[in-house]
Amino acid sequence: MDFTLSDEQQLLRDGLTRFLATRYDLEKSRSAAKTGAGWQPEIWRAFADELGILGAAMPEDVGGIGGGPVEVMVIAEALGHALVIEPYVDTAVVAAGLLRRADGGVANALLENVVAGRAIVALAAAEAESGDRWQDAAATARRDGSDWVLDGAKIMVVGAPIATHLLVTARTTGGLSLFCVEVGAAGVELHGYRTIDDRRAADLVLTDLRLPADALLGAEGQAWPSLDLARDEGAAAVCAEAVGGMRRVLADTVEYCKQRQQFGQPIGSFQVLQHRMVDMHMELEQSIAAVYLAVLNLDAEPTARARAVSAAKATIGRAARFIGQNAVQLHGGMGMTEELAIGHYFKRLTVVQYEFGSTDHHVARYAELTKE
Amino acid sequence: MDLTWSPTDIAFRDEVRAFLKDKLTPELRRAGRLMTSVYSDHEASLQWQAILHERGWAAPAWPVEYGGCDWSLTQHYVFSRESTLAGAPALSPMGIRMVAHAIVAFGTQAQKDFFLPRILTGEVFFCQGYSEPESGSDLASLSMAAVDDGDDLVCTGSKIWTTHAGEANWMFGLVRTSRTAKKQQGITFVLIDMTSPGIQIRPLVMTSGEEIQNQVFFDEVRVPKSNVIGTIDDGWTVAKYLLEFERGGGAHAPALQVMAAEVAAAAASQPGPAGGSLIDDPAFSRKLADARIRTEVLEILEYRVLAALAGGGHPGSASSMLKVLGTELSQALTELAMEAAGPRGRAYQPHATSPGGPVAEFEPPADGYVTGEPWQAVAPLRYFNDRAGSIYAGSNEIQRNILAKAELGL
Repeated sequence: MDFTLSDEQQLLRDGLTRFLATRYDLEKSRSAAKTGAGWQPEIWRAFADELGILGAAMPEDVGGIGGGPVEVMVIAEALGHALVIEPYVDTAVVAAGLLRRADGGVANALLENVVAGRAIVALAAAEAESGDRWQDAAATARRDGSDWVLDGAKIMVVGAPIATHLLVTARTTGGLSLFCVEVGAAGVELHGYRTIDDRRAADLVLTDLRLPADALLGAEGQAWPSLDLARDEGAAAVCAEAVGGMRRVLADTVEYCKQRQQFGQPIGSFQVLQHRMVDMHMELEQSIAAVYLAVLNLDAEPTARARAVSAAKATIGRAARFIGQNAVQLHGGMGMTEELAIGHYFKRLTVVQYEFGSTDHHVARYAELTKE
Repeated sequence: MDLTWSPTDIAFRDEVRAFLKDKLTPELRRAGRLMTSVYSDHEASLQWQAILHERGWAAPAWPVEYGGCDWSLTQHYVFSRESTLAGAPALSPMGIRMVAHAIVAFGTQAQKDFFLPRILTGEVFFCQGYSEPESGSDLASLSMAAVDDGDDLVCTGSKIWTTHAGEANWMFGLVRTSRTAKKQQGITFVLIDMTSPGIQIRPLVMTSGEEIQNQVFFDEVRVPKSNVIGTIDDGWTVAKYLLEFERGGGAHAPALQVMAAEVAAAAASQPGPAGGSLIDDPAFSRKLADARIRTEVLEILEYRVLAALAGGGHPGSASSMLKVLGTELSQALTELAMEAAGPRGRAYQPHATSPGGPVAEFEPPADGYVTGEPWQAVAPLRYFNDRAGSIYAGSNEIQRNILAKAELGL
């Protein structure tokens, strides 16, 4: 039973936190999101070259540091605290995990590029008809000689407009398969947009998309177990990210309530607001514990892993909603503007509740897994 | 960072399990399982204490020289967890887990020599005299008068919410020895012999029908000054020290896990609202899942506090948070059990349970008939009694006041 970080993990956290405090500006990142390229490439470069966080959880043979879920937790929490919009979880956790488990020539080469910051990879799994039920994808891939030909459509592919590569799920005769696609390939139509939490995403239409044989990642029809794990890894990572955001939001709210004067006294002296903030504090503490539960079970067998991740995602979903909504409420009208950080964090904390399975989905999955 | 126990702790766990398997008779286990509140049946509780005392495990948290165990914090947690999971009756918290710590920290040698061994054997059984009719959450406003008269303090007034006042032969309590500008000053911590002349006990019939709580009246009761713990007028210091023990070394999760498993088993045996069994009802199963998720997370929080303590830290206001989370979760689970009990959960049948005290104005059926299973008789009584969780040991509102100040600087 040990809840302390190793010296290396603490160095990682401190270095990244220092970097973000001095180099990651909230306003600048919002401008990039709204009127710029959607991200800050020089920040991504620094993630790879100066900080090495893109390969922190990847093996050394692809240029990584050889860490695991705890490293991802430390990184994601720091990024969440600074409200970083660059696609760390989507590329360096979800896509990187899929590539590592695919373990082929194409996958390993691409993974090296991810770790080095040269490639951004986005997962195209959600569809209009099946939503977040990735296992029910309707896009198809059929063999044509040694090639694969893909048809179908994907929605909400986070990071796609700034990505170099896409990982696309498609149904083949044997089941669900995963393919690697270069952005710009003929047969891929990309409709980009901004998300409500200031990220870039896109819908894709695939028409007679022709891919070479080695674009198939892993065994044909056998992609689900790896996708299922990627979803849990993504869920655990956004849980840690949300903890970072919630820490900042609660601290800002407490500070605001100490300063804001009404009726001749700080509003933080009113018991009804004090108790609300204590409830926010307790939701945050439970979220921190829930992240440990998920992260320290990510390598367990699938049922134990799924149960722990669902417990965590349900807890964080509940907390992100409660803390986000009440942070806005306690800031009054100012909490609804874009002038304070709180409004931006609130948007991210809202989206987190739905990513990698909604709160309700995870409560239901937990109920199913704990049925005697 | 990891969630595994060390081999030493696992070996200790197995030792505790073997002991429990050997010593926990079906009758004692039944008494534990059918508890209607946090208080076990008095006799079963004393029997279990005697068994533990024989093994040297009745008061593990005491200093070794007075009969405690030389355990690590993890071992304390493991012991309490395994006892709960095995369904052992709860020991009365007042003596071993509370006043004894005050006697160890503030008592004279004579007080230690007299009380500690007798608490261990059960010969001395304590109740607590803190709250008064006009002093609840504002405990320091208490007014039971203790007038200095030579070698004695002469006490007049009344105490309320005194658990097991009728069974106890001693009380530890707070009395007012002087009135000063600051209400926390002038309070004295005393031990009162319950057989002293001038004491009257009025049982309070709780909503569950049980007489667990009492009001106790004192009419010029003489308490020798040799029974003062600490110094006269400085009893608040002792009381504050004890509050930390009352709010817990915090191990709610194991009991909550047992409750959740019982609710799940119960729901699997009962019909659901739309056919099938209750456990398959989506609304019910999600409420239960929510409670179990909160319990899993609470366990990690408790581990974290434990790990901090093992590293030489202090629980501080974390114990306030664990108290709030643990009691609110317990209340949610008693409500789910009530729901799972179905129509039979509305029958009043304390004779099928192991009540924490005498049951007032109740005649069980001559043939002992019980509708349904014993757990269905327990469910409503637990639900009623568990409302106390968010009220006792500093109400959850008081805990939130503490957290606002200590954790948020408000």
